[in-house]
Amino acid sequence: MNWDWEKLQKQRQGNTGGTPPGFDDFNEQFKKLKSFKLPGGKIVLLAVALLWLLSGIYIVEPDEVGVVKRFGAFSRITTSGPHYHIPYPVESVLTPKVTQIRRIEMGFRSMTRNRSVPFRQGQERGVPDESLMLTGDENIVSVQFIVQYLIKDAKDYLFNVKDVEATIKNAASAAMREVIGKSKIDDALTTGKQEIQASTRELMQHILDLYKSGISIVAVQMQNVHPPDQVVDAFKDVASAREDKSRFINEAQAYSNDILPKARGQAARITNAAQAYSEAKIRRSQGEASRFLAVLKEYKKAKDITRRRLYLETMESILSNPDAEKLILSDDALKKSIPYLPLDTVRRGKTADTAKQ
Amino acid sequence: MNKKSALLIILILVGTIVLTQSVFTVDQTEEALVLQLGKPVYPDPLGPGLHFKLPLVQDVVYFDSRILDYDAKPEEITTEDKKYMNIDSFAKWRIANPLVFYQKVRTIPGAQARLDDIIRSQLRVSLGRYTLIEVVSRKRPEIMTNVTARTKKQLEPYGIEVIDVRIKRTDLPPENATAIFGRMKAERERQAKQYRSEGQEAMARIKAKADKERSIILAEAEKQAEEQRGQGDAKATAIYAEALGQSPEFYGFMRSLDAYRKSFKDKSRFIFTPESPFLKYFQ
Repeated sequence: MNWDWEKLQKQRQGNTGGTPPGFDDFNEQFKKLKSFKLPGGKIVLLAVALLWLLSGIYIVEPDEVGVVKRFGAFSRITTSGPHYHIPYPVESVLTPKVTQIRRIEMGFRSMTRNRSVPFRQGQERGVPDESLMLTGDENIVSVQFIVQYLIKDAKDYLFNVKDVEATIKNAASAAMREVIGKSKIDDALTTGKQEIQASTRELMQHILDLYKSGISIVAVQMQNVHPPDQVVDAFKDVASAREDKSRFINEAQAYSNDILPKARGQAARITNAAQAYSEAKIRRSQGEASRFLAVLKEYKKAKDITRRRLYLETMESILSNPDAEKLILSDDALKKSIPYLPLDTVRRGKTADTAKQ
Repeated sequence: MNKKSALLIILILVGTIVLTQSVFTVDQTEEALVLQLGKPVYPDPLGPGLHFKLPLVQDVVYFDSRILDYDAKPEEITTEDKKYMNIDSFAKWRIANPLVFYQKVRTIPGAQARLDDIIRSQLRVSLGRYTLIEVVSRKRPEIMTNVTARTKKQLEPYGIEVIDVRIKRTDLPPENATAIFGRMKAERERQAKQYRSEGQEAMARIKAKADKERSIILAEAEKQAEEQRGQGDAKATAIYAEALGQSPEFYGFMRSLDAYRKSFKDKSRFIFTPESPFLKYFQ
């Protein structure tokens, strides 16, 4: 008995060609039902049959593909547009969104899941259990990242792996920790992010391909990488220490930039002053020399009279000063009065005496 | 007429019951075994599609043909260097041989229990051979490959194919984590201190260098200035000497007169004796 069923099925599969299986069944049934009479039954039956036939129409949206199953088995993939499948219970259709990029948050959850509140950056809650990981240099770092993926093979996605989303999450966790485990904390915190993202993406893709999950990882993006809360202050202090260092250097350079030009200016002033002194001195000497030589030339012509004239002229110009006190004393009187004269006056008198010649 | 239709209805009903009892579908995600009074009918499991069986005597058991998840509870493991760590792993597996699977473990929870036993012990054994840092970092892929291979072998007799065993998380117990935090903190403090003192060192260097340069610049300027002045003085002296040397006696006279003129500019007192040459004609 069982074998007959098998044969029948095989035969049917061989025969199908144009009309899909089930149609024959349906026609036979329909004929049977035709002969079955109820008041007004024909119209009702016809309407029901029509509705049943129409239920096979389905539309695949531009971001979807249609995956048609016949008796549960994968049958075909249809692209976007209107299509027809044999109605229930023969064929059924699934329409996964294959162009839509999905997103998984790792290490944090956005607070604004509900649509009514617009997405705002920073409104999120950390999940330390997911985000804390060990680095290759035995430090702990908190990594929050997102994974973007899309369905690259709808058939694999639907039929190969149970709970694909959880699988992606596990793969993300494992991959990121493996990559971070090979990195140094400083790389993870600073310059190595690009590389970590790329390696994680690659590793995740490898894992998911191993499971034939039909998933393509579009991107792994690190959102917020920071030291754990317990040590974050120390890390921040390092950053500010680095700033301090460059501040110190800048300050010193500012000092240097301030004093050196000033010193150069001062140096220029000193050398220029010396040059001025020297040039002036030379010129003065040249002038005085010429003056002397000129006068000397004339003096040589009439020595005595020039000498007398010059002497008298000088004395005149000195003594014509209205402030100058003049005192004429005889030699005797001078000798007697010396004890009474103020000392400085004596000195002056003596000086004056030198003018005698 | 009534009798006939009643018979028809009964016939249809019976037909439907027989049909639903003998026709079954297997989904794309499933495999099925057909058992005839407990004895498997086909050597191989049935794939997706429409199938038939005998009503009443034959039974269908369905199995998930997809890759299934086994997510272990995190557990504490001791590493080769006697450190504790919490290992959270997961495995991917599928039912490779439904018949054997059905005979040995029957259900998925039953399989999970087997997986749990074997993966757990394998992880424990494998991880115990490595130091903590090896587990975290360099040897991790190797460990996972080994564990996968071994568990695969051990679970084959159960009709289970292990595809992948993967360490999801390697965390330290809280006490160890605290120690690490302490070390991280100390490291950073050291670094911060180093940066600051390096900055101060650089600052002192730069400032001292600038001070030095300033001193040199100024001294150099003074040196040049002195040289310049000296040259000027020398030149002037030479000029004076050359000119004045022509008549030292007259220079002495002239210079004295000049000096008188300059020296007695202000309020001064002159005492003359009648013998002064200036007063020669005064008497």
